[in-house]
Amino acid sequence: MRHAILTAMLLAAPPVSAEVTVIQNATIYTVTKGTFRGSIVIRDGKIADVGEKVMTPAGARVIDATGKHVIPGIIDAHTHIALDSINESSVSVSSMVNVAEMLNPESISIYQALAGGVTVCNSMHGSANSIGGQNVVFKMRWGADARGLIYDKAKPSIKMALGENPKRQGSPQGLQIPGLSSPQNLRYPGTRLGVEDVIRDAFTRARAYQREWKDYEARKARGEKHLPPRRDLELEPLVEVLEGKRLVHAHCYRADEILMLIRVFDDFNIRGVTFQHVLEGYKVAKEIAERGHYASTFSDWWSYKVEAYDAIPYNAAIMHRKGVLVSLNSDDAGGAELMRRLNTEAAKVVKYGGLSENEALAMITINPARQLAIDQWVGSIEAGKDADLVIYDKHPLSSYARVEKVFIDGRQYFDRDEDLSRRPKFEAEKEGLRKKMTDQQKQAAPQNRRPS
Amino acid sequence: MRKNLLAALAAALLIFAFLITAALAETVHWTAIRDARIVPVNGPVIEKGTVLIRNGVIAAVGAKVDVPASAWIIEGNGLTVYPGLIDALSTWGLPQAAQAQPAAAARTAQPQQAQPQQQQQTRSWGPRDRPGTFSWVRAADQVQLSDARLGQARNAGFTTAVTFPRQGIVAGHGAVINLGGKTAGDMVVAPDAGLYLALRPSGYIGFPSTPMGVMAYFRQLWLDAAHYREALALYAADPVNIPRPAYDRALEGVLGAKRVLLPAADPVQMERMLQLAADLKTPAVLYGAVRGYEMAARLKQTGTPVILNVRWPARDRDADPEEEESFRELKIRDLAPTSPTALSQAGVKWAVSSEGLETPRAVLRALKQSIDRGLKREDALRALTLTAAEIYGVADRLGSIERGKIANLVLADGDLFNDSTRIRMVFIDGVRYLPEPEAPQAPGAAGRAPSLSEEEEQ
Amino acid sequence: MRTATIACLPVLAAALMAAENNTFLLRNATVHPVSGPAIQNASILVVDGKIAEIGQKVAPKGKVRIVEARGLHVYPGMIDSGSPIGLAEIASVRETVDTGEIGDFNPQLRALIAVNPSSEHIPVVRANGITSVLVTPGATGGGRGASAGSLISGQASLMHLDGWTWEEMEIRRSAAMQMAWPVIQMPRFRGADIEALLPGLAGRRTTFAEARRNQQQQVQKIQDFFDAARRYQKAKASGESIQPDLRYEAMIPVLEGKQPLMIFAAREREIREALDFAARERLKIVLAGVRRPGKALEDIAKRNIPVVLGTTFVSPLEEDDPYDEPFTLPARLHQAGVKFAFASFGVQFARNLPYQAAQAAAFGLPYDEALKSVTLNAAQIWGIDSEYGSIEKGKYADLIVTDGDPLEVRTQVKMMFIKGVPVDLESKHTRLYKMYSARP
Repeated sequence: MRHAILTAMLLAAPPVSAEVTVIQNATIYTVTKGTFRGSIVIRDGKIADVGEKVMTPAGARVIDATGKHVIPGIIDAHTHIALDSINESSVSVSSMVNVAEMLNPESISIYQALAGGVTVCNSMHGSANSIGGQNVVFKMRWGADARGLIYDKAKPSIKMALGENPKRQGSPQGLQIPGLSSPQNLRYPGTRLGVEDVIRDAFTRARAYQREWKDYEARKARGEKHLPPRRDLELEPLVEVLEGKRLVHAHCYRADEILMLIRVFDDFNIRGVTFQHVLEGYKVAKEIAERGHYASTFSDWWSYKVEAYDAIPYNAAIMHRKGVLVSLNSDDAGGAELMRRLNTEAAKVVKYGGLSENEALAMITINPARQLAIDQWVGSIEAGKDADLVIYDKHPLSSYARVEKVFIDGRQYFDRDEDLSRRPKFEAEKEGLRKKMTDQQKQAAPQNRRPS
Repeated sequence: MRKNLLAALAAALLIFAFLITAALAETVHWTAIRDARIVPVNGPVIEKGTVLIRNGVIAAVGAKVDVPASAWIIEGNGLTVYPGLIDALSTWGLPQAAQAQPAAAARTAQPQQAQPQQQQQTRSWGPRDRPGTFSWVRAADQVQLSDARLGQARNAGFTTAVTFPRQGIVAGHGAVINLGGKTAGDMVVAPDAGLYLALRPSGYIGFPSTPMGVMAYFRQLWLDAAHYREALALYAADPVNIPRPAYDRALEGVLGAKRVLLPAADPVQMERMLQLAADLKTPAVLYGAVRGYEMAARLKQTGTPVILNVRWPARDRDADPEEEESFRELKIRDLAPTSPTALSQAGVKWAVSSEGLETPRAVLRALKQSIDRGLKREDALRALTLTAAEIYGVADRLGSIERGKIANLVLADGDLFNDSTRIRMVFIDGVRYLPEPEAPQAPGAAGRAPSLSEEEEQ
Repeated sequence: MRTATIACLPVLAAALMAAENNTFLLRNATVHPVSGPAIQNASILVVDGKIAEIGQKVAPKGKVRIVEARGLHVYPGMIDSGSPIGLAEIASVRETVDTGEIGDFNPQLRALIAVNPSSEHIPVVRANGITSVLVTPGATGGGRGASAGSLISGQASLMHLDGWTWEEMEIRRSAAMQMAWPVIQMPRFRGADIEALLPGLAGRRTTFAEARRNQQQQVQKIQDFFDAARRYQKAKASGESIQPDLRYEAMIPVLEGKQPLMIFAAREREIREALDFAARERLKIVLAGVRRPGKALEDIAKRNIPVVLGTTFVSPLEEDDPYDEPFTLPARLHQAGVKFAFASFGVQFARNLPYQAAQAAAFGLPYDEALKSVTLNAAQIWGIDSEYGSIEKGKYADLIVTDGDPLEVRTQVKMMFIKGVPVDLESKHTRLYKMYSARP
C-alpha cells in the first residue's frame, strides 16, 4: 500500500503554504475553548482562525464538513511504534541509547496510526531497564524521512522503569539469554529495592560527573592545563535531567514504587515527570498531584501480570479528580493497534468514572501535549497552533465514529475516500510487478541454480 | 664542520642509491603482452597494443611500445587485457574470517560448535568492557596464501581484494591484498584499508544488544579514543605532572582508522550510518546498499562511497508458495539491480563485493544484469577496478593499466561481461597465473539467499 | 452473592423484598428483542426465570415485583463465544492459568470443572452486559491460529457469568470440542535489513519443505486419532468388549456430528484443509479465529459453516493490507452469507466484546447484525437459541438494562438478570474505585 500511497500523496498534495484551507460547518471540539458549530481556517500549516463565524478567504480550498466532527490531532504519549529496535536490555542503565536512531519512516504503523487520527506520538525505549534510553516524539507525516518525521520542538526525554520488568533479569527465571545461565550473569537489580538503588546511584554518579565538568571548566578558565574528564554518554542525558533539560517518562505500576520514585525525584529536585502506565496511580494520586507530576495510563488494561492486578478502569478518573494531569496511551509496539482507536479509549473515562466528554478528549489531546511539553503548538484547536486536525463522521467518542480526514501542519495526510479509491490501482500495480518478477525469475533460473 | 658532514652524507647517499640501482638492474624481468586489445580504464581502449611489465610493474602501455629483447613475450592476439579486478569487501586470504563471517553466528543452528567459548562467557556490562572490539586486529597480519579461495578468485579475473576481519562489532582493519605472491607479506598492498564495523552484535553477549546500543557504543569508543589521544599528548608534553595514560590497544586501533566501513541496506539505514560517521568524524564507506538506487543523490551530496552487494535479492526458491510478497519486497527485487546505474549517473563512487555469491565469477553475471538494465559497461568495469582502488586510496598503484602501476592484469578472450568469455590468464605483481579447474566457493559463502530481513527480535 | 446484589440495586430494592427472586415485571423500557424490531414503552413479564410476555400492554397478573425501567433499554444478555474466563486469572502467572494442557489430544478435558466462580474477572466482564461465555480450554492464538498447545484441547463449556459453583454457572458443559488446525510455521523474513548484507542466515530458518513436512505430520496425527476414535466408536456400537478409553469416549459426540468441533484456522490454507477434513469425516464444525479466508470464504458460506471471529482490535496481518482490513472482515463475512459470532478469546479484554462488534458496524456491518453477533447468532451457533440469545416468549430472561446502545462505550449497564435473577454489577474495580475515591 505504502508506495502507492506515497506516490499519490507526493503528487496530490502541493506544499500547503501556498494554500488556504477552510473546514466549514463542523462540530468543532477545541478541547480548550469549548465545542461549537463553526469553521477553521488553515494557513501556512497553522490554524489561522477558528470560531462559529469566521471569514472564508477568497480562493481558499473549502471542505464542507456539515454533520462532521473535528478534534485536534490525537497525541499518544506512550508508544513504541516505527522503531527498528526498542530495548537495549543488556544493562540496567541504558541512557546512552536513543530510539530516535531507530525510527523507521517506512513502518506501516505510521500510516495506520494516522488513519486512526493520531498526529503526534512519543515513541519510547522499552522498560527492561531501571533507566532506559532516550525517546523520540514525532508526527505522522507519512512519506517523510526519519528527520522529517521528528517533531523537533518536543523536549528531549528519557525512559525509566520500575517493578517487574527492570528486575526480571535479576532472577534466574527471568534471565533468558542462551548460554548465559550462570549466576554472575544475572543483571542487578532483582528486586524493587534494587531498582531504587540503581536509579539513586545513576543520578548520584550524574551529579558527580556534572561537578567534575564544572571543576574542569573552572580550572580551564583559570588557564590551568588539565586533562578534561572522559565524556560519558551514559551520564550526559542524566545530567540533562538534573538540569531540567530532559523530561522523564517513568514506567510504573504499584503505588509503593510510584511513591518511591516521587521521593527519589524530590531528593534530586526533578520535576514534571510523567508516570507511565501508573496503574495504581489512583492509590497515590494525592502524592502525584502534590508534586505536579503527570500520569499517562491505559483505559482498561489489567490482570496481565501481578503488578497489574489492582488496575482499574477508574484510574484516570480518580487521578484526574485528585488533580493529576492525565493522558491515555496505547503502548503500541509493532502495529498501531490501540493507537488508532484512542478516541474510544477516551470514551471509557466517560463510562468508568463519569468524566465529561471534554475531559475525555483532553486526555488524548491537550493533556499528552502538556506531558510532552508541546502544548504550546499542538493539542487543541486554537488560532496560532499547528493545524493538526481530525475529521470524524460521527461524535468522536462514539464506537461508530470513523476518521475521514487527518491534517498535519495543515497538510492533508489522510483521506479515507482517497485511500479507498487507491486500492484497486495498488492491487493492479502489485500484480503487474509480481508477474514481472516471476517471469524474470523463470528466465534467470538456469543461471541462479544453486546446490540445495 | 657541519657543511662537510652534510656533503659527506650526500655523497654516501648517492653511492648507496647507485648501488641499489645497479643491484636491481642485474635482476630486471621484462614481460610484454603484445597485439592485444587493451582496456586501460583510465583512458581510451587501445585496439591493438602492448603492455610492458618490468619487475612486476607496468613500464609502458600503448599501440607502439619498445620491447626489450630479453622480454618474455605473451601473444595477445584475440585477447583483451583489463586491469585486475578488485573485490572491494571480502574475506579472501582470511579463512578464519570466512568462518566467523555470519553475523548471526550466535543464533545459528550449532552455536556451540561455532562458538565453543560461548558457554563460559560472561556478559558485557557496558562500553568499558569493550564488547566485541578487535580494533587491534589487522588483516594484513593474518592473510594466508593457503586460502583455497584465492585460486577461484583468480579464475574469475580477480587479482586484488580488500579483505577484512569479521569477528565482533569492531572487527579490525582490512588490507588491500593481491591474490598471489610467494609469501603472505608479498600479498599486502596496503595494510590500512579501514576499520570494519558491524551493526549487529555477534560472538559475545551483553551490551550492546541492539543496533542503537552498538551505535551508542561506537560513539563512546570514539570519544574514549579522542580522550586517550589528548591524554597521550598532554603526557608527552609534561610527563612530570600529567599521569601516564595506560596503553589501550582498542583505542590505539580506533585512532589508526583511516576510514570506517558501515553496513546499510536501505535508505533509513544509510541515513543512520551517515549520521554515525559524521559523529565519529571518520570518513565512511557504506557496504550493502541493496536500495542504493534510492539514495544516489544523498550519497553524492555527502561524498560517501559504497560497496555494493551484488547478490540481487530474489524470492527464496524455498519460499511458501502461498506467502505473499509485499509490494515493497517486490519493488526492491525489481530495482536493486539498477543501483549501479543510479550511483554511476549521480557520480557516486561505488565498487562491488562478491560476498554471498556462489562463485566470484557470479559478480560479473550480476553486473551483466545491471548492464542489461542500462548500466554502461565501462562504469561496471571501473567499479571493479579503478573506483575500488580510489575508494581505498590505492589508485596510485592499482586499478588501471598505466605506467607505474602494479602489473595486475586480466587477459580474457572476449568482453569481460559476456557469459561465454573465458579468462585465459591473470597477472599479479607481474606473475602469471593460469586458470585452475572451477569449484564452488568455500563453505559459508554460498549460504541460502540472504532474505531481505528478519523481524526484530525483542 | 445474590443477597449482595439486592442491596446494590436500589431501583429494585423495595420491590424485591416480598417477591420471588426470578419473577418480575420490567416496565416502560424500550425492548430490543434482537429477533425482531424494537418495541417502545414495553414491558416484559418474567415468570420463574423465563420470559412470559413482552409488549406494550402487559399487565401484571396478581402480585408481582415491578422493575421500573423508564427511559432505559432492554437487550438480551451478550454471549462471548470464546474466552478462558474462570480458567485464567493473571496471564503472566502460570499458577493462575489452567488452559493449554500438555499433549496433542485431550478431548476428555472439560473446561467447566476448573472454572473458578470467584475469579475477579467474572464480575468485571458481566458488568458490561455479558451474561454468558463459551469457556475454552485451549490456547486461542492469534493471526495464524493456535501455534502452541494441543491439537485437540478439550471441551468448551457454555457458562453463565454468575453462580455459587461452576455447576450453577453451567449452560452446556460440552458445547464444543476445541481443535487447532496445524499451521505451516515459518519464521518470516521481510523488509531490507542489515543482516541482508551477510550470508549465514541458513541455520536460523526452517525451510518451507521442512515446515510443510512438520505440518503434514501433525495433520496425519489428527487423521490417525480420528481413525482410532472411529474404530473405538464402531467397536462399542457393535457391543465388542473393549478397553475403555476416556479420550475416544469423549470423541463420540463429535464423530456422531452431535457436538460441534470448533476448529481454529486463521488463513485460507488452514481453512481449506479444515473444511475438507470436516467434509470427509462428516463432522459438524465451527471455524474459529478466521482472519484471512481468501477464496475459502465462498466455501464457508456454501457449506453453511458458522464462524467465530476474534477481536476486531488487531492490526492488519500484512503490510500491504488496507488499514481497515480487520474492521471490515465481519462485513465481508456477512456479505458472503456466513453466520458469525464474536469472541474475545481472552480474559483481560473480554468486557470489550460489544465494542468489537461496534467497530465492525462502523466499517460496513449492518448494526442489527453486529448486535446479533454477540447475542442471537452465538446462541444459534452453540445450539441454545431455543432458550437464549433474544428476548422472546419462552426464553430464559438473560437480560440487560442499559441507558443506551450496549455496543457504545459510553453506555452504562444499569441492571442485569440471569435466568430472571438480578445480578450484582459491582466488581473488584468498582470496590477499589469507591475505596480510593474516598481516600482523604
